[in-house]
This record gives sequence, C-alpha cells and structure tokens, in this order.
Amino acid sequence: MFRYLTLLSLLFSSFIANAQNFSYGQIDANDFNYDKRKIDSNANAVVLKEYGTARLQLDEGLGQLVILFDYHVKLKIYNKEGFSEANIVIPTHKSGDKVELIQDLKATTYTMENGIIKATEMDKKALFNENKSKYLSLTKFTLPNIKEGSVIEYSYHMQSPFIFNFKTWEFQGDIPKVSSDFVAFIPANYNYNVILRGFNKLSDQKSEIDRECLRLSGVAIDCSKMTYTMNNVPAFIAEDFMTAPSNFKSAIYFELSDVQLLNGSKQAYTKTWKDVDYELVSEKNFGGQMKRKDIFKDLMPTILQQATTDLEKAQAIYNYLKKQLKWDHYYAIYSKENMKTILESRSGDIADLNLTLVAALSAANLDAEAVLLSTRENGLVNKIYPVITDFDYVIAKVNIGEKSYLLDITDPLLPFGLLPLRCINDQGRVINLKKPSYWIDLKASQKSVTKYLLSGKLNSNGKITGTLSTTTLGYAALNRRKDIKNHNSIAEYVEKLDEQLPKISIQKQQILNVDSVEQPLIEIYEIEFEADHNNASSQLFLNPFLINRISKNPFNLNERTYPVDLGSSVDERISINIALPGSYTLQEKPKDMAIALPQNGGRYLLQTAISDHVLSLNQILQLNNAIYSADDYLYLKEFYSKIIQNQKTDALLTKNN
Amino acid sequence: MPCLPKTIKKNFFFLICFSLWFSISYAQTSYDAGLIPANLRNRANATIRTEEITVDMQSPTDVTYTVKKAITILNKNGDLNAGLFLFYDKNTVIKSIKGEVYNEFGNLVNKFSQSDFKDESAVQGFSLFEDNRVKHYLPNVNTYPFTVVYQYEIRFKQNLIIPDWRPKPAVDVSVENSKYTFICKPGDMLRIKAQNYNGKAQEQENDKQKVLTWEVKNLPGTKPEPYSPNKDEYLTSIKIAPQQFTYFNYKGNYSNWEELGKWNYDNLLKNRDVLPPSTIQTINELIKDESNDKAKAKKIYTFLQDKTRYISVQVGIGGFQPTTAAEVDRLGYGDCKALVNYMQSLLKVAGIESYYCVVEGGNQKISLDPTYASMNQGNHIILCMPLAGDTTWLECTSQLIPFGYLGDFTDDRYVLACTPTGGKLLKTPKLTTANNLQVRHADLLLARDGQVTGQLQTTFKGSQYNNNEYILGKSNKQQQELLKEVYDIDNINFTQISYRQKKDVAPELIEDLQLEIRNYGAVNGDKIFLLPNAFNVKTNIPETKNRTLPIYINRGFTDLDTIRYQLPANASLINEVGDVHLSNNFGEYFSTVKIDGKQLTYIRKLVINEGTFPAETYATFSNFIAAVNAADRLKLIISLK
Repeated sequence: MFRYLTLLSLLFSSFIANAQNFSYGQIDANDFNYDKRKIDSNANAVVLKEYGTARLQLDEGLGQLVILFDYHVKLKIYNKEGFSEANIVIPTHKSGDKVELIQDLKATTYTMENGIIKATEMDKKALFNENKSKYLSLTKFTLPNIKEGSVIEYSYHMQSPFIFNFKTWEFQGDIPKVSSDFVAFIPANYNYNVILRGFNKLSDQKSEIDRECLRLSGVAIDCSKMTYTMNNVPAFIAEDFMTAPSNFKSAIYFELSDVQLLNGSKQAYTKTWKDVDYELVSEKNFGGQMKRKDIFKDLMPTILQQATTDLEKAQAIYNYLKKQLKWDHYYAIYSKENMKTILESRSGDIADLNLTLVAALSAANLDAEAVLLSTRENGLVNKIYPVITDFDYVIAKVNIGEKSYLLDITDPLLPFGLLPLRCINDQGRVINLKKPSYWIDLKASQKSVTKYLLSGKLNSNGKITGTLSTTTLGYAALNRRKDIKNHNSIAEYVEKLDEQLPKISIQKQQILNVDSVEQPLIEIYEIEFEADHNNASSQLFLNPFLINRISKNPFNLNERTYPVDLGSSVDERISINIALPGSYTLQEKPKDMAIALPQNGGRYLLQTAISDHVLSLNQILQLNNAIYSADDYLYLKEFYSKIIQNQKTDALLTKNN
Repeated sequence: MPCLPKTIKKNFFFLICFSLWFSISYAQTSYDAGLIPANLRNRANATIRTEEITVDMQSPTDVTYTVKKAITILNKNGDLNAGLFLFYDKNTVIKSIKGEVYNEFGNLVNKFSQSDFKDESAVQGFSLFEDNRVKHYLPNVNTYPFTVVYQYEIRFKQNLIIPDWRPKPAVDVSVENSKYTFICKPGDMLRIKAQNYNGKAQEQENDKQKVLTWEVKNLPGTKPEPYSPNKDEYLTSIKIAPQQFTYFNYKGNYSNWEELGKWNYDNLLKNRDVLPPSTIQTINELIKDESNDKAKAKKIYTFLQDKTRYISVQVGIGGFQPTTAAEVDRLGYGDCKALVNYMQSLLKVAGIESYYCVVEGGNQKISLDPTYASMNQGNHIILCMPLAGDTTWLECTSQLIPFGYLGDFTDDRYVLACTPTGGKLLKTPKLTTANNLQVRHADLLLARDGQVTGQLQTTFKGSQYNNNEYILGKSNKQQQELLKEVYDIDNINFTQISYRQKKDVAPELIEDLQLEIRNYGAVNGDKIFLLPNAFNVKTNIPETKNRTLPIYINRGFTDLDTIRYQLPANASLINEVGDVHLSNNFGEYFSTVKIDGKQLTYIRKLVINEGTFPAETYATFSNFIAAVNAADRLKLIISLK
C-alpha cells in the first residue's frame, strides 16, 4: 500500500511529456460529450482533467520560503445527484501568524445550449470565507446555473508557509477522475521523502531539471521538476470494517528530509531511529517522564502491599493508577504536565497518564518501556524512516520473564494487558531508555469471547423457564460493561434489555464482576418464554436460536476492495439444554453442521439432539483472524450465509404416546 | 428539501442550548451529589440543582440574558448535559462566562472561563453564510457524579426573539429548582404563553420596572417513551413576545399573526420580485397556450425545477430575508426563502396570486401556534396558490417533488401566509392513512433447493411515496445497495431495477424489481421451511411498563401485500395455517395463506391509524404490534415428497 518513491531513480527516467496544464476557458464539445461509461457508468460526475503545481519560492516580504500551489480542474456533472460537486470547500490552515492564503480564484459553469457553449462566470460575491476554528478556515463557493450535463471549471492559487509536508496531492476523490497530474518543483538543496499511498498505480512519472528556479542570497539553485500522473482513477468509496480512509486513498505525500545550507552544512529534518531514540529519551516531556521513578518512592510500598511476584506488582500498579488517574480525552505523545501535577490533579492526556505508568512500573524495578503508536482513525505509520508526526498515542509495555504486556490506563473497564480497540493498528515503536527502539505488533491480547448457556425446562403449560448465563471476555465484555455503565443502575439496564426482548420475560437477574474487570463478566437471568404450538398440541416448534440469532449478514456486498478489519478474533458459543416433560422425538431440526473458513480463518459448528428427555443444542462460531484480506470477503459472506440459512430452521418436537 | 434558515438555528439555540445549559448557582449552596433526593435520582441521567435565568429588557435593543446554573451529571449518559454551547452573531454578544466543576462530594476540582471555550463557526454541511458562531465547552470529567456550575451573561441587540424558558430540557433530566425572571419597563406590552405550568407568574411592579417570575421545583426524571407526543405537549415552557420590537435596525410591533405576517411582508418580502425582461418573456412564451391558471403554474413550476437548485444561504436580516428574484434568476440557486420568492415572482408574471408561507418543517407535525404569534416558530418556507378555491401548495427546494405535493415534511399543520393585507394562518393538506399506501405484488418461483426468483412490484403513495422518493435518480449501483437495506434478506440480488414516477398532485412511485434469493427457503431433508412474508415484517416495539404519556402516532399508513409462490412439483404444505385477524383502535391486520394446486398465495394487510391514544392503552398497542410481528414471521413447512 505504501510505495516509497526515490527522487534519484527518477532522474534517469524519461517520458514523453503529456502532462501539461490546460488553458482556462478552453472547453469544447469533447468535454461535453465525454462518455462516463469509459470510466464508471454509475458516476454522477467525473473529473475530466485536474492539474496542480507546487513550488518552493522565497517570499520577499516574509523573508522565508513558502509553497506556491496552483490548482486547476474541469469536471462534468451528469445528473442532479452530481450537483453537489458544484459546491466547493477549500480548507486553509493557520497557526499563530502563519496562514495559508487563497488568491485569484476563478470559477465558470459551461452549458451546451442548442449546440453553443455558454459560459457563466462565478461572481466574486458568491465567495464566502468561514473562520471555522483557531486552526482552520474554509473558502466556500458554489457555481451558478448548474444543469444536468454542465461542465464546470475552476482554478486558484494558494500560498502556504508550511513547507515541511510540501503539498499533499490526492489523486483519488469521491468521483472518478480521467486524469490527475501533479508537478512538484523541488530545489536541489531540499530533499523530500515522497510516499505514494493507495491501491492505484501511477500511470506516468517523470523528472526533469528546471534551471535556476530559485535564488537564495544571490545564489541560483536548480530544481527537480517531478511530474506524477494518474489516469482513470476510480472514485474512493469507504467500506465497513475499515481503518482510516487515508490509508487506502491514492495520494502522494511529502516530508522534508534535509536541507543543504548555503554554507555547505546539512540540516536534517527526517532522521534515523537512532537520532529519534536519543531525542525522545532526552526530551523532558517523554524520556524525562519515563525516568521519574523518584516520585513514587513514598507511594510504592502502599501500592505493592499485597504483591509478591513481578506480575502481581505490575497489576497492582496498573490497577492503582487506572483508578487514580482520569483521562481528559485528548491524545498526545508528549506529556503536557509535570508528573507531580498529574498525580495531584488526578487527570491528564494520553501521554500524561501512560508515561506516568511507565515511570511507576520502573520505580518498582520492573522492565518498562513506552510504545508510540498511531490510532486506527489516524492511519498507518511510515515504517521506512521515522515520522514522529505519524504517531498520536503512547502506551506502556512491561516485560515480565518471557512475556510482555501492553498497557493503557485510560479506560477503567479495560483489564490488564488489553488495549482499547483504537490502539489495535498494525505496529507500534517501543522506546526504551537504554536500548535501541524496535517495532512491535499491536494485537488484542484477548479474544472477544461470548458464551451463552441456557438450561431450562418445558412446562406442561407450554412455557419454557430456565436460566440463561452469559459469560463474556475481551472486547465483548468491555462493550457490555460500557453498556451497563451507561445506565443508572443494573435494574434499569435489565429493564431495558427485557423491553427489547418482547418474547422473553426476565424475572430475576444477577450480574457479576461488573467492576472486577480482570474477571469475565457474568450475567445470569431467570427467563420465561413460550414455544410455538402447532394446531395439534402434541407438536411443538422451537427455534433454538433465541439468543443472538444472526439474521443479517454483515458482509452483504457483491465485491470488496479493501481488507476487512475486525480488530480482534471472535469466539462465540451457545449451549442450550431444555428438559422435556415426557418423551419427545426430534422430528425436525437444524442440520448438524461443521464448516470452516480457508486457512483456519474460522469455523462454525452446530449440533442438536434429544437424549434422556433433554433437548440440547451446541453452537460454536469462531473467527480466528483480526484482519481478513479483501479476497477473503466472499468466503466470509458465504460462511455467514450458511449460518443464517441453518438458523432459519425450527426444531419440531413430537410427543411420543 | 429541509431548508434551515437562521430561524431554526435560533430554535436550536433556544430549545436545546439555552434551556439545557444555562443556569445559576447560589454561593452558599453545597453541591454534594448525596443531597439530591432519591426521587430525583431515579430515571435521571442528570439533575439540575438550581437554575436561575433572568431576562432584563432595558430597551428593544438592549436585552440582557443572565444564566446561573448548577447541574449534577449522574452517569455517562448525562455527559452532554455538562456541556455549554453559546451561539452568537452580530446581534448577540457574549459578555461573560465563568464556571466551576465540583466532585461527587461537592469539593471544587476545576474552574474555567471564556478562554477555555472553543470558538467555531456554527455551520453544518455546505452552507454559504454570514456570521453565526458558537463558543462551546465540555468539561472532561469521568468520575460520576460530578457537578458543573455556570454563570454567564449574553446581550441581545434585539427583542424580537426572546429565548423560551424550558426548565426541564429532556425526560432524563430531573430538576430540583428552576426559576425564570423577566424584567421590563412598566409600560411594556407583552404576550406570554405558558404551557404545562401550574399557577401564575408572580408579578411585582414599581415606577421603574415590572418583574415577572416563574418557578418550578422537584421535577423527576422519566424514562424516554416511544410514540411520545411533541415535547411542548407535556413539558413546561414559558414563551414571551414583546409587542414593540427592534431587529437589525427594523422596528415594528405585533400582537397576532395577522400583524406579524404584515410586518414580514412589508419589511422582508416586498419589492424583491423584479425579474429581468428576458425571463418575463420566457415565462410569457411558456404559458401562452395554457388557458387555466393551474396549468400555467405547473409549467412555471417545471421551469423552476429545471433552472434552480437548493443551496443554503444564511444571509440577510438574521436569515429572514430572501435574496431577490433577480439574483436567483442570475445564479440558478437559492435557499427556501429565495426559491419561494422567485417562484412567487414568476407566478406574478402570469398574473397568478400566491402566498409566501412560514412553516415548521419536519416529519413530526408541528403547527404554528394559533393562540400565540412569535417570530421563532417555523424553520422553512413554502408557497401557497389560492387559485380560486383550488388551493395548491408548492415545495420549491426540491427538483424531484411533484407539482402540488408537499410530502410529510410540511403536511397537515398550520402555516403563516405573509400577504400584503396581513398574515393568515392556513392549514396544509393531510396525508391520510388510507392514501399513505404501499401496494405490493410478487410473483415468485420457489425451487427445490430453496432458491426464490421472480418479480416484485410495489406502488408507493402518499407519505410512502415520500419515504421512497430518494431512490429516484440514483445510479444503479447505489440503488442496489439501498435496496439491500430495504429488503434486508441474506443473498438477495436484484437483476433488474426500474422506477416510474407519476409526478402528480397525488404522486405514485412504482418500483419494479427482478430478484433472486439463493437459499431463501431452508431445505432440511425432504422439507423446505419458508417464510412467505419475505418483504414486510413489522418490527416489534418496546413493551414499556407504567406508561405515563399518551401514545401519539404521527401519521397512519396502509400496506397491502400479495405474494405468490409457484411451488416445486409434488410440493405440499405440512403445517395447517389459519387466517389471522386483528383489529382495534390502533389499526387492523389480516393475513391468509391459500393453496391452489402448485400456487401458494400469501396476502397481508396492515393498517396503522394516526392519532393520540390514552397512556393506559399502551399494552394493547405493544401487544397488537407483537401479534403482528409474530404473524408476519409465519413459517410454512413444505414437503417435497
């Protein structure tokens, strides 16, 4: 998904230059007649051509380098559903007195009337600037006279003081593009790392030398002129069970690596992990925090009172801090507060909390490290060289004997060693105070397990009474605990549950370990429900899938482009035993079944039987992987389809006379 | 279609924000959460401990709105009640904000001030707007309970819209004490609407000022109940409208809808109807062959739909004034006000009279209050043509909607027509239970392996037309995906999709589908289990105990399904199935299965009536729906021997 493009290798390639900007206003019949079936017959609008250039230039007024970006696009709107493509929003960023500015915005609508192309220019009055927040402004406009079949064109110039990421170019958008070209002029003394993300390949790329493109302190500098072209780019459509769209959308990203200064020295921006390790460890708000063992000197004996083994010590510290400190819902990789203040105010951001945990574990002489990671919404991190801004989160890691545990104290409902789902995103970088850093897999340490056990009896009045026990572990338990906590009391939680199950009445309940998160969550309900009688009273229908019946296939699309990311593996078991009054024959029953996904990806087992006047049913559903490839999608779909199919069948019991 | 001029934002501001977030604290009060009486904790996610709102109308251009409030958040579900959202614009100045957070035991843990607030534009989606902003703050606490105490002051440079007082903002919030004080000059004329308030306002008057006070105490939390009436029907509110007002340098006075409608017309609408000569000529050309006004209007409406599209434009006198007809003519877009004004101007060219009408749009029917005129009712504009007795209504923001049809966004409610002779309350047409019709015919073939193939035709009328109109004009791929949501059956596939729209005052949408469902019938040995009602299973509703509020069904409907299956050779039905007949005040249900040789026919009829029903009949209602659900899930066992 990530391709690293080197500037050097491109210098020697040569292509015919077909990527050129097009003249504004030169719209012809070909644009109106473009047949969308050539790219996507379902499209409501299509970008016919898109062209952008970005260059580094000296802003004489500011006395600093800025990015000059020019954007030009024409697109065709096919129907009313595509009208929203005529509503444009351009975000610009600001930070302190650094602001991005939009200039020279032009926009035109073209319509074909009786074979003649009519152009309507957009009024400058139709341009609105929305001051969205402290860091973001939006330039908004909509084009006039939009009709089905209109072609629209607009262009603008943007100046940006933020040169570190040069200019990100998205080849892929929410409508298909016939062609998208981006030209980057990069001065020879500026070295950028370039990364192409997404599933689509470049159609063309080339490199030329642009002589004396920039003059700094009287010295003329040559530029590399890099051209990146992507043709026939499909629309980007997000799918279910997917991490951040930016991981999959085709786009080109830049990051400043180093600058050759005019005095001959080199200033590095992107570094090696060795440099980054050193910086992090010596940084007051990172390594500095990890080292603050002293602060726990007086506290530690109280925390560790009962603990003897290293694991017990780690758990005691984890539980103590989890209860003591509250997360303020901000992500960060550097602490913003002094550790003393954090402990006194009992709250802080991610870095405040988890780096405190690292320090406390170290204070108990445990082998503790910090792990930098990027959350699921934030996307994947660059593995080729360190990009510290890719990370948005930090957790603790403690190594005990041969085992290691990943810890996060932001959620009181998390058990020791289980990360919140947001952290389960490929790999994190372990930062050690003494050793070089390294990558580690971020995986859920526990399966998401749910076990239902129903044992009951069929009474002579046709009602079934019994006890339903549900045991959950991992994310299944976490989600249920969250649900319970969202209610004022357990009674209100159960009342709601009862109301949602109109066929089943809950008569008594017991919920264990709501707060003992290291233990499985156990819910025990005394329930009563009715079996369906056929007209003949000797026959009785029973759909045993009264618990968690799968009625909807979560994988119902006909095709899939991106991997399916479930976060953790899943294990769900149902076991039902119903004692029958007298002798019955199981005349019909759901088929006993054992099916599996390829490569041990998962399995489903079902067995139903009557023996000794007891109807029993056992079901196991396992999904062994957290992530399935797009190719596995159809297997998953079929797997679920078979389960749904089987669960439609009732058990038919006939009384033996 | 929903058009949100600033008025809705005002409503949002007043309804949700003001009443929810604003309040008061007494310096000596203890915020120990343990002091909340047990009856106020029950069913509540948050408790307003004390709230004191004071509106001081010094003059029409100087109204001070002061709030002191202490609210205890009891659990995570109550979190949002801790937040403060203050909207402001050119006419509204936030003078001061300060607040404190207390822990469970009433100990101070944190203070905050205006600098802790995020300041953002208050715009959602794509909207071209002027200057609406919001300052917001949500305390970060996650140990419950905790208490937030706020104090802030806002100055309005207008008195046309005074925020309503709603002491109990939501069912899950309980109130210990809440007080509302309105201060004005002794001679100021006010109209006051009190809803669900026991008693009268306390009144004090001296030479300098008149002070009115309302107060409520000990309002318990209740659990949310499905099919509840509109909140105004059961929650306390006080609404105040001063007679003399100033708004964005406009002055006026009104004491009823007639006068307010007149002021609207004279100040906001008049003389905005000038069209360029070329458009006048186009319209004249367009209607020259039509003799009656309705036919002319229909042609002009088509012209409007082809020429314009809806874009939210929040500009002009607080969002109340439409952009001119000439502007819309030039740009080809506008918001609801602008498009209605434009259509009205086009009709004028043809000599057809029409009224610009303010309506509270939404699926839930909410009328403008006939007994109380005020500017902050209504969030949308529609057009009414009297047409000499054949009154015809036009929704001007949609390009899909048929001429003369309003849909469920604005049906069956009072709206304000702003005419040169004054405002008039008019009622929009009702979509009736009998006409909100869905008629479905399916001819399907059931194969021995359980596969079902065939065709499905459904006609949607009335509000059911409205519910399905969105699918028109979507690409085939999108329709496939949307249909899989509507007909949520595993393995369903649509091999052909087509729609016909009868674009008429009584519109119809006819959906024709060719479909296949692999493994629809569950084959088990030599039997097939078949759910004959494949496409229309009524979902259950919660079986709430101790219902307190009346049951309100907003809109009735009628569904008719006839599903025919051609069975495989030698198939026979094993289980006997009787007809199901259910009928009561809430509706009517009938289903039957007939076998005729190889043909199995399933017929189903469901009617749900609209109306308000006594709370104690809720069990009847939920049992009725549960019985419908059970009957809908009828399972046939078919022998293949």
